[in-house]
Amino acid sequence: MMTRLKIVLVLIAAVLTAWGGVPLYKHRHYQVPVVAGPGVTRVERLSRFAPGLKGTMADTDVFVLEGARPGGKALLLANTHANEPAGLLAAVLMIENAVVEQGTLYVIPEFNASAGRNTKPGDGYPLYFDIPTEWGAKRFRMGNRDASPLEQWPDPDVYIHYPERQLLSFLDVRNTNRTWPGRPDGPLMERVTFAAMELLRGEKVDVAIDMHGAETMFPVTNCIVAPTKSSKIATLVSMTVKAMEGFDNHVEPSPSNFHGLSHREIGDFSDTLPFLLEAPIPFLDQPTGPKTVTLLLDGKDPFLLSLSRAKKLFVPYDENGWPMDKRVGQHCSVSLEIFRQFTKKNPERAIVLGGVPRYAELVKNGVGRYFHDPAKADPKNVHYE
Amino acid sequence: MKKAFLAILAAAAVAALSASPAAQTAVPKSGLPVLTTSAGQSNDANTVNAVLEEAGIKYDYCDVPTVEMLTAGVGLAGKTSSSGFHVEITTDLAKFPKGTPYKTVILAIGASLKGMGASGLTTDSEEARVKKLIEYCKKARIFIIGVHAGGDAARGPAGSDNERMIDAVAPFADFLVVTKDSDKDGRFTKIAAKTKAPLVKVDFALGMVDVMKKVF
Repeated sequence: MMTRLKIVLVLIAAVLTAWGGVPLYKHRHYQVPVVAGPGVTRVERLSRFAPGLKGTMADTDVFVLEGARPGGKALLLANTHANEPAGLLAAVLMIENAVVEQGTLYVIPEFNASAGRNTKPGDGYPLYFDIPTEWGAKRFRMGNRDASPLEQWPDPDVYIHYPERQLLSFLDVRNTNRTWPGRPDGPLMERVTFAAMELLRGEKVDVAIDMHGAETMFPVTNCIVAPTKSSKIATLVSMTVKAMEGFDNHVEPSPSNFHGLSHREIGDFSDTLPFLLEAPIPFLDQPTGPKTVTLLLDGKDPFLLSLSRAKKLFVPYDENGWPMDKRVGQHCSVSLEIFRQFTKKNPERAIVLGGVPRYAELVKNGVGRYFHDPAKADPKNVHYE
Repeated sequence: MKKAFLAILAAAAVAALSASPAAQTAVPKSGLPVLTTSAGQSNDANTVNAVLEEAGIKYDYCDVPTVEMLTAGVGLAGKTSSSGFHVEITTDLAKFPKGTPYKTVILAIGASLKGMGASGLTTDSEEARVKKLIEYCKKARIFIIGVHAGGDAARGPAGSDNERMIDAVAPFADFLVVTKDSDKDGRFTKIAAKTKAPLVKVDFALGMVDVMKKVF
């Protein structure tokens, strides 16, 4: 009798484990096809710049778009935080459509590749989201802020930042926006940021743009975060998009004593000018309704609307929410404007690209309009992220 | 796509600038050299510097200059940047050698607790510092331009940090340049009417480029 009960309990446990685990396993191994567009001249692995990443799940693709004319160089990072996907969509859009006329553009769409295969079940995150396109739905994984413990474990009690020795939260050891500038033999996420630093230094990259999303209740949202060395270009970009494209994107100074962030350490440990873009993402705010795909995509929430009326939000917010197309549009326009302002100041290091829609076009047409059907693309141009 | 965007950008810029009051209001003239600084340590001082660069005007900048530095003229007594203290000297030293007295000071009005904190200031100490600078400017007949580029976000209820910075600068300015968003409640209009200082309102901060070209 007792043995039979034990067997039944073990079977129930196994069924529950499979029921919960199989979707997570599928999510972790789901591949998102990305069609390398006409501007992509080669695809590297990040481990080329730091061999310590080779063979790990944290290694990731670097799409290189080289112009016909030499010029400056820029690096675009997305999914540093894989639960802020507007940057990922902007990066994929650039890979599939951008044509560099002068200079070189490096794009890493899944910078924290492990976080992109992780989730946050305690917060009820959806595992996927679909973007409608002319040829059907394009499915993306919804990731998490931090890398998976499957890649990097155990966490320390306190993360001691290298090299400043600032004490950070234990979770930040898996957060690729706290592990800059990294080291070649540190924890895996430090190796990821170290590889990017080596890319920036070795390839003499002029501009680095790290695309994020931030809560509407967080003051550092809807903005460009820039250290002193990047602040003039950031300010000109902010003024220009406001006047010419009609959206706000103020400039926030990068705190000089808060370490591990891309906008701080890239500037301090290389000659590159860093910019971190924050587009509002209502999905990440705490006081919202269920964390659904709809909320992720349209950014409409009745609780945030009430808070907006009580002036508790840091961005204008109404019944229209803050849709994904608007967020992707902001990332595209602000990135293009950074390149334009940098080129104006440094004509000998010009970065000029075409084929990328700006804010108004994205809001009007939707981001899905710019994704290409992998089924119809030459298989050698289809990469799986 | 890029060429079309640039054409639209140029057309929009011409339209925006020609339609702005700056094109119609008499903009006062002032002289170089010019010092830019902040009243409240918001990022708007960067906006002023970016505007001047776009306008092709060379300037000296310090976020927290003292009266002694201002008195020392171009070069700001050789001070250099350090933590919470920023200096930038772009003035043409061939035309205006070190020590040349400033003819104009531009104060970017906008309070940031983060910015003041980074410079070791409180709202009280920043207000006191700005008042001393303005007293010196008045005594030395230095032309004061007050700029408010932060719009709604750099305004607040009466007595708030932003409003205290406006009180510290605007009534003493010889010329006020603000964005329309900054003057939704007519606060700058009222101050300018009282002090008889010319006031130019622009649609966007980018419109200040044209204004500054006319000033210098």
